[in-house]
Amino acid sequence: MAALKHRGKTYEVGPGTTLERALRELGIIPETVLPVRDGKIVPLTHRIEEGEEIELVDVISGG
Amino acid sequence: MKCTICKKPAVIKLRHANLKLCPEHLVARVEKVVAETIKKFHMFTPAEKILVAVSGGKDSLALWEILRKLGYRADGAYLDLGIEGYSARSREYSEKFAAARELKLHVVAVEEELGTGIDGLVRVARGKACSLCGTVKRYLLNHVAYEGGYHVLATGHNLDDEAATLLGNVIRWEEGYLARQYPVLPGEGKLVRRAKPLVFLSEREVAAYCVISGIQYIYEECPHAVGARSIALKHVLNKLEDRYPATKLTFLRGFLKVRDRFRPREPVELRDCPICGMPTAAEGPCRFCRLKERVSHGAPA
Repeated sequence: MAALKHRGKTYEVGPGTTLERALRELGIIPETVLPVRDGKIVPLTHRIEEGEEIELVDVISGG
Repeated sequence: MKCTICKKPAVIKLRHANLKLCPEHLVARVEKVVAETIKKFHMFTPAEKILVAVSGGKDSLALWEILRKLGYRADGAYLDLGIEGYSARSREYSEKFAAARELKLHVVAVEEELGTGIDGLVRVARGKACSLCGTVKRYLLNHVAYEGGYHVLATGHNLDDEAATLLGNVIRWEEGYLARQYPVLPGEGKLVRRAKPLVFLSEREVAAYCVISGIQYIYEECPHAVGARSIALKHVLNKLEDRYPATKLTFLRGFLKVRDRFRPREPVELRDCPICGMPTAAEGPCRFCRLKERVSHGAPA
Protein backbone atom coordinates (compact mmCIF):
# COMPACT_ATOMS: atom_id res chain seq x y z
CA MET A 1 0.00 0.00 0.00
CA ALA A 2 0.96 3.67 -0.34
CA ALA A 3 0.02 6.62 1.87
CA LEU A 4 -1.51 9.95 0.95
CA LYS A 5 -1.37 12.50 3.78
CA HIS A 6 -3.88 15.30 3.85
CA ARG A 7 -4.83 17.68 6.68
CA GLY A 8 -3.39 15.45 9.35
CA LYS A 9 -5.10 12.31 8.01
CA THR A 10 -3.43 9.41 6.24
CA TYR A 11 -5.25 7.59 3.44
CA GLU A 12 -4.00 4.21 2.31
CA VAL A 13 -4.25 3.63 -1.42
CA GLY A 14 -3.29 0.72 -3.60
CA PRO A 15 -0.31 0.99 -5.95
CA GLY A 16 -0.76 1.22 -9.72
CA THR A 17 -3.47 3.85 -9.87
CA THR A 18 -2.72 7.41 -10.94
CA LEU A 19 -2.56 10.12 -8.33
CA GLU A 20 -5.43 12.02 -9.96
CA ARG A 21 -7.68 8.98 -9.84
CA ALA A 22 -6.77 8.32 -6.21
CA LEU A 23 -7.63 11.92 -5.31
CA ARG A 24 -10.99 11.72 -7.05
CA GLU A 25 -11.81 8.46 -5.29
CA LEU A 26 -11.08 10.24 -1.99
CA GLY A 27 -13.37 13.10 -3.02
CA ILE A 28 -10.51 15.62 -3.25
CA ILE A 29 -10.60 18.08 -6.16
CA PRO A 30 -7.09 18.02 -7.69
CA GLU A 31 -7.17 21.84 -8.07
CA THR A 32 -7.22 22.22 -4.28
CA VAL A 33 -4.01 20.35 -3.42
CA LEU A 34 -0.40 20.14 -4.46
CA PRO A 35 1.09 16.62 -4.13
CA VAL A 36 4.63 16.77 -2.74
CA ARG A 37 7.18 14.02 -2.03
CA ASP A 38 10.66 14.71 -0.62
CA GLY A 39 10.19 18.44 -1.27
CA LYS A 40 9.31 17.99 -4.94
CA ILE A 41 6.00 18.24 -6.79
CA VAL A 42 4.49 14.96 -7.90
CA PRO A 43 2.46 15.22 -11.13
CA LEU A 44 -1.15 14.02 -11.09
CA THR A 45 -0.31 11.55 -13.86
CA HIS A 46 2.13 9.74 -11.53
CA ARG A 47 1.31 6.09 -10.92
CA ILE A 48 1.41 5.43 -7.21
CA GLU A 49 4.10 2.99 -6.15
CA GLU A 50 4.11 0.47 -3.32
CA GLY A 51 5.28 1.97 -0.03
CA GLU A 52 5.58 5.60 -1.10
CA GLU A 53 4.29 8.52 0.94
CA ILE A 54 2.90 11.62 -0.72
CA GLU A 55 1.82 14.75 1.12
CA LEU A 56 -1.16 16.61 -0.29
CA VAL A 57 -0.45 20.24 0.51
CA ASP A 58 -3.66 22.22 0.83
CA VAL A 59 -3.45 25.26 -1.42
CA ILE A 60 -6.63 26.98 -0.27
CA SER A 61 -6.18 29.72 2.26
CA GLY A 62 -8.66 32.28 3.33
CA GLY A 63 -10.33 34.33 5.95
CA MET B 1 3.49 14.31 -19.26
CA LYS B 2 5.89 16.68 -21.03
CA CYS B 3 6.45 20.40 -20.65
CA THR B 4 4.56 22.32 -23.33
CA ILE B 5 7.57 24.58 -23.81
CA CYS B 6 10.74 22.43 -23.56
CA LYS B 7 9.36 18.84 -23.68
CA LYS B 8 11.20 17.88 -20.47
CA PRO B 9 9.12 16.04 -17.80
CA ALA B 10 6.31 18.30 -16.57
CA VAL B 11 5.29 18.42 -12.90
CA ILE B 12 2.08 20.41 -13.16
CA LYS B 13 -0.79 20.82 -15.56
CA LEU B 14 -2.50 24.21 -15.61
CA ARG B 15 -5.79 23.51 -17.31
CA HIS B 16 -6.91 27.14 -17.18
CA ALA B 17 -3.85 28.17 -19.19
CA ASN B 18 -3.71 25.00 -21.32
CA LEU B 19 -0.13 24.39 -20.18
CA LYS B 20 1.92 21.49 -18.82
CA LEU B 21 5.08 22.80 -17.23
CA CYS B 22 8.42 21.58 -15.90
CA PRO B 23 9.71 23.27 -12.70
CA GLU B 24 11.86 25.73 -14.62
CA HIS B 25 9.05 26.91 -16.88
CA LEU B 26 6.49 27.07 -14.06
CA VAL B 27 8.81 29.53 -12.28
CA ALA B 28 9.35 31.49 -15.50
CA ARG B 29 5.60 31.68 -16.18
CA VAL B 30 4.74 32.86 -12.67
CA GLU B 31 7.34 35.63 -12.77
CA LYS B 32 6.28 36.67 -16.28
CA VAL B 33 2.60 36.91 -15.31
CA VAL B 34 3.49 39.07 -12.29
CA ALA B 35 5.77 41.34 -14.36
CA GLU B 36 3.03 41.80 -16.96
CA THR B 37 0.34 42.47 -14.34
CA ILE B 38 2.47 45.16 -12.67
CA LYS B 39 3.00 46.91 -15.99
CA LYS B 40 -0.53 46.50 -17.35
CA PHE B 41 -2.13 48.07 -14.28
CA HIS B 42 0.66 50.63 -13.68
CA MET B 43 1.07 49.29 -10.14
CA PHE B 44 4.53 50.70 -9.46
CA THR B 45 7.93 51.34 -11.03
CA PRO B 46 11.41 50.08 -10.09
CA ALA B 47 12.16 53.56 -8.72
CA GLU B 48 9.40 53.36 -6.10
CA LYS B 49 9.62 51.95 -2.57
CA ILE B 50 7.35 48.94 -2.08
CA LEU B 51 6.14 47.44 1.18
CA VAL B 52 5.00 43.82 0.95
CA ALA B 53 2.40 42.70 3.49
CA VAL B 54 3.95 39.45 4.73
CA SER B 55 1.99 36.78 6.59
CA GLY B 56 4.35 33.82 6.43
CA GLY B 57 2.01 32.13 3.96
CA LYS B 58 2.75 31.09 0.40
CA ASP B 59 1.28 34.09 -1.40
CA SER B 60 3.04 36.90 0.43
CA LEU B 61 6.42 35.16 0.53
CA ALA B 62 6.18 34.24 -3.16
CA LEU B 63 5.28 37.84 -3.98
CA TRP B 64 8.26 39.18 -2.04
CA GLU B 65 10.58 36.69 -3.76
CA ILE B 66 9.25 37.55 -7.22
CA LEU B 67 9.50 41.31 -6.70
CA ARG B 68 13.06 40.87 -5.48
CA LYS B 69 13.95 38.77 -8.54
CA LEU B 70 12.31 41.28 -10.87
CA GLY B 71 14.54 44.01 -9.42
CA TYR B 72 12.01 45.96 -7.36
CA ARG B 73 12.93 47.63 -4.06
CA ALA B 74 10.67 45.79 -1.65
CA ASP B 75 10.71 45.61 2.15
CA GLY B 76 8.28 43.52 4.18
CA ALA B 77 5.82 44.20 7.00
CA TYR B 78 4.70 41.39 9.27
CA LEU B 79 1.85 41.86 11.73
CA ASP B 80 2.01 39.63 14.78
CA LEU B 81 -1.73 39.11 15.15
CA GLY B 82 -1.57 37.52 18.57
CA ILE B 83 -3.24 34.26 17.55
CA GLU B 84 -2.13 31.49 19.89
CA GLY B 85 0.43 29.19 18.30
CA TYR B 86 -0.31 30.26 14.73
CA SER B 87 1.23 33.72 15.02
CA ALA B 88 4.51 32.48 16.49
CA ARG B 89 4.93 29.96 13.66
CA SER B 90 3.98 32.37 10.87
CA ARG B 91 6.34 34.99 12.30
CA GLU B 92 9.17 32.47 12.30
CA TYR B 93 8.67 31.69 8.60
CA SER B 94 8.57 35.41 7.75
CA GLU B 95 11.69 36.24 9.75
CA LYS B 96 13.64 33.28 8.37
CA PHE B 97 12.71 34.24 4.80
CA ALA B 98 13.85 37.84 5.31
CA ALA B 99 17.05 36.89 7.15
CA ALA B 100 18.12 34.35 4.50
CA ARG B 101 17.85 37.02 1.79
CA GLU B 102 19.03 39.96 3.92
CA LEU B 103 15.73 41.78 3.41
CA LYS B 104 14.24 44.38 5.72
CA LEU B 105 11.19 43.19 7.65
CA HIS B 106 9.11 45.51 9.83
CA VAL B 107 7.47 43.55 12.64
CA VAL B 108 4.46 45.09 14.38
CA ALA B 109 2.69 43.41 17.29
CA VAL B 110 -1.07 44.01 17.16
CA GLU B 111 -1.22 43.68 20.94
CA GLU B 112 1.08 46.68 21.36
CA GLU B 113 -0.97 48.84 18.99
CA LEU B 114 -4.48 47.72 19.91
CA GLY B 115 -4.10 46.61 23.51
CA THR B 116 -4.87 43.00 22.64
CA GLY B 117 -4.26 40.47 19.86
CA ILE B 118 -6.92 39.07 17.52
CA ASP B 119 -7.71 36.26 20.00
CA GLY B 120 -8.54 38.90 22.61
CA LEU B 121 -10.33 41.17 20.15
CA VAL B 122 -12.83 38.51 19.05
CA ARG B 123 -13.78 37.99 22.69
CA VAL B 124 -14.68 41.63 23.34
CA ALA B 125 -15.77 43.01 19.94
CA ARG B 126 -18.85 42.31 17.88
CA GLY B 127 -18.30 40.99 14.38
CA LYS B 128 -16.72 38.02 12.69
CA ALA B 129 -13.06 37.28 13.37
CA CYS B 130 -11.95 37.67 9.72
CA SER B 131 -13.76 40.99 9.41
CA LEU B 132 -12.24 42.37 12.63
CA CYS B 133 -8.81 41.08 11.65
CA GLY B 134 -9.19 42.68 8.20
CA THR B 135 -9.92 46.07 9.78
CA VAL B 136 -6.86 45.80 12.02
CA LYS B 137 -4.57 44.61 9.21
CA ARG B 138 -5.68 47.30 6.73
CA TYR B 139 -5.15 50.02 9.32
CA LEU B 140 -1.77 48.88 10.63
CA LEU B 141 -0.28 47.98 7.25
CA ASN B 142 -1.29 51.34 5.83
CA HIS B 143 0.16 53.01 8.92
CA VAL B 144 3.52 51.23 8.53
CA ALA B 145 3.60 52.03 4.80
CA TYR B 146 2.72 55.70 5.31
CA GLU B 147 5.11 56.26 8.21
CA GLY B 148 7.89 54.45 6.36
CA GLY B 149 7.50 56.61 3.26
CA TYR B 150 6.56 53.70 0.98
CA HIS B 151 4.89 54.50 -2.34
CA VAL B 152 2.81 51.34 -2.46
CA LEU B 153 1.61 48.48 -0.28
CA ALA B 154 1.68 45.18 -2.17
CA THR B 155 -0.44 42.25 -1.01
CA GLY B 156 -0.44 38.59 -2.03
CA HIS B 157 -4.10 38.33 -3.10
CA ASN B 158 -4.26 35.69 -5.82
CA LEU B 159 -6.79 34.68 -8.48
CA ASP B 160 -8.72 32.45 -6.08
CA ASP B 161 -8.95 35.25 -3.49
CA GLU B 162 -10.15 37.77 -6.04
CA ALA B 163 -12.64 35.43 -7.71
CA ALA B 164 -14.07 34.45 -4.30
CA THR B 165 -14.38 38.09 -3.23
CA LEU B 166 -16.04 38.89 -6.54
CA LEU B 167 -18.51 36.03 -6.18
CA GLY B 168 -19.35 37.15 -2.66
CA ASN B 169 -19.91 40.73 -3.82
CA VAL B 170 -22.04 39.62 -6.76
CA ILE B 171 -24.20 37.34 -4.61
CA ARG B 172 -25.03 40.33 -2.40
CA TRP B 173 -24.87 42.88 -5.25
CA GLU B 174 -22.52 45.03 -3.24
CA GLU B 175 -22.16 47.75 -5.87
CA GLY B 176 -19.88 49.88 -3.71
CA TYR B 177 -17.47 46.98 -3.14
CA LEU B 178 -17.63 45.99 -6.82
CA ALA B 179 -16.67 49.54 -7.81
CA ARG B 180 -13.61 49.33 -5.55
CA GLN B 181 -12.45 45.82 -6.50
CA TYR B 182 -9.45 46.30 -8.78
CA PRO B 183 -5.84 45.04 -8.96
CA VAL B 184 -4.55 48.47 -7.93
CA LEU B 185 -6.19 51.14 -5.78
CA PRO B 186 -4.76 54.65 -5.92
CA GLY B 187 -3.38 56.34 -2.83
CA GLU B 188 -4.87 59.52 -1.43
CA GLY B 189 -3.32 61.65 1.29
CA LYS B 190 -2.29 59.29 4.10
CA LEU B 191 -3.89 56.34 2.36
CA VAL B 192 -1.10 54.49 0.56
CA ARG B 193 -1.65 52.99 -2.91
CA ARG B 194 -2.43 49.25 -2.82
CA ALA B 195 -1.47 46.68 -5.42
CA LYS B 196 -2.19 42.99 -5.93
CA PRO B 197 0.37 41.68 -8.43
CA LEU B 198 -0.69 38.00 -8.06
CA VAL B 199 -4.32 38.46 -9.13
CA PHE B 200 -3.97 36.41 -12.31
CA LEU B 201 -2.18 33.46 -10.66
CA SER B 202 -4.08 30.56 -9.11
CA GLU B 203 -3.34 29.45 -5.56
CA ARG B 204 -2.04 26.17 -6.90
CA GLU B 205 0.46 27.91 -9.17
CA VAL B 206 1.70 30.07 -6.30
CA ALA B 207 2.06 27.03 -4.02
CA ALA B 208 3.97 25.22 -6.79
CA TYR B 209 6.23 28.25 -7.21
CA CYS B 210 7.09 28.12 -3.50
CA VAL B 211 7.81 24.39 -3.48
CA ILE B 212 10.03 24.63 -6.57
CA SER B 213 11.83 27.74 -5.30
CA GLY B 214 12.44 26.19 -1.88
CA ILE B 215 10.38 28.85 -0.09
CA GLN B 216 9.33 27.51 3.31
CA TYR B 217 5.91 28.78 4.34
CA ILE B 218 3.24 28.03 6.91
CA TYR B 219 0.91 25.32 5.57
CA GLU B 220 -1.64 25.46 8.34
CA GLU B 221 -4.70 27.68 8.15
CA CYS B 222 -5.46 30.46 10.62
CA PRO B 223 -7.69 28.88 13.30
CA HIS B 224 -10.14 31.79 13.04
CA ALA B 225 -10.60 31.16 9.29
CA VAL B 226 -12.16 27.73 9.83
CA GLY B 227 -15.66 27.92 8.38
CA ALA B 228 -15.05 31.36 6.86
CA ARG B 229 -17.37 32.39 4.03
CA SER B 230 -14.42 33.13 1.73
CA ILE B 231 -13.28 29.50 1.96
CA ALA B 232 -16.78 28.24 1.19
CA LEU B 233 -16.87 30.49 -1.88
CA LYS B 234 -13.49 29.14 -2.98
CA HIS B 235 -14.78 25.57 -2.74
CA VAL B 236 -17.75 26.44 -4.93
CA LEU B 237 -15.45 28.04 -7.51
CA ASN B 238 -13.05 25.09 -7.45
CA LYS B 239 -15.92 22.69 -8.14
CA LEU B 240 -16.84 24.79 -11.16
CA GLU B 241 -13.19 25.11 -12.20
CA ASP B 242 -12.80 21.33 -12.06
CA ARG B 243 -15.67 20.91 -14.49
CA TYR B 244 -15.13 24.05 -16.57
CA PRO B 245 -11.42 24.99 -16.58
CA ALA B 246 -10.62 28.74 -16.55
CA THR B 247 -13.89 29.62 -14.78
CA LYS B 248 -12.09 31.77 -12.18
CA LEU B 249 -9.92 33.58 -14.71
CA THR B 250 -12.84 34.20 -17.07
CA PHE B 251 -14.98 35.44 -14.19
CA LEU B 252 -12.36 37.94 -12.99
CA ARG B 253 -11.29 39.13 -16.44
CA GLY B 254 -14.90 39.54 -17.52
CA PHE B 255 -15.64 41.58 -14.41
CA LEU B 256 -12.66 43.88 -14.99
CA LYS B 257 -14.07 44.67 -18.44
CA VAL B 258 -17.44 45.78 -17.05
CA ARG B 259 -16.33 47.13 -13.66
CA ASP B 260 -16.78 50.76 -14.78
CA ARG B 261 -20.54 50.17 -14.76
CA PHE B 262 -20.47 49.97 -10.96
CA ARG B 263 -20.34 53.14 -8.91
CA PRO B 264 -20.26 53.72 -5.18
CA ARG B 265 -23.68 54.92 -4.04
CA GLU B 266 -22.13 58.04 -2.54
CA PRO B 267 -18.64 59.38 -3.20
CA VAL B 268 -16.43 58.43 -0.25
CA GLU B 269 -15.03 61.48 1.48
CA LEU B 270 -12.01 60.77 3.66
CA ARG B 271 -11.42 62.72 6.85
CA ASP B 272 -8.62 62.56 9.41
CA CYS B 273 -9.49 60.50 12.48
CA PRO B 274 -9.61 62.94 15.42
CA ILE B 275 -7.69 60.46 17.59
CA CYS B 276 -4.92 58.99 15.39
CA GLY B 277 -5.00 61.35 12.40
CA MET B 278 -5.20 58.54 9.87
CA PRO B 279 -7.81 58.66 7.07
CA THR B 280 -11.30 57.37 7.66
CA ALA B 281 -14.64 57.48 5.88
CA ALA B 282 -16.43 57.53 9.25
CA GLU B 283 -17.59 60.63 11.06
CA GLY B 284 -15.64 60.73 14.30
CA PRO B 285 -12.96 58.20 15.25
CA CYS B 286 -11.86 55.57 12.74
CA ARG B 287 -12.88 51.95 13.17
CA PHE B 288 -9.46 50.99 14.55
CA CYS B 289 -9.56 53.68 17.25
CA ARG B 290 -13.11 52.67 18.18
CA LEU B 291 -11.98 49.05 18.52
CA LYS B 292 -9.02 50.19 20.60
CA GLU B 293 -11.28 52.15 22.91
CA ARG B 294 -13.61 49.19 23.38
CA VAL B 295 -10.66 46.90 24.08
CA SER B 296 -9.49 49.27 26.79
CA HIS B 297 -12.94 49.09 28.38
CA GLY B 298 -13.29 45.36 27.77
CA ALA B 299 -16.76 45.95 26.30
CA PRO B 300 -18.26 44.85 22.98
CA ALA B 301 -17.48 47.29 20.10
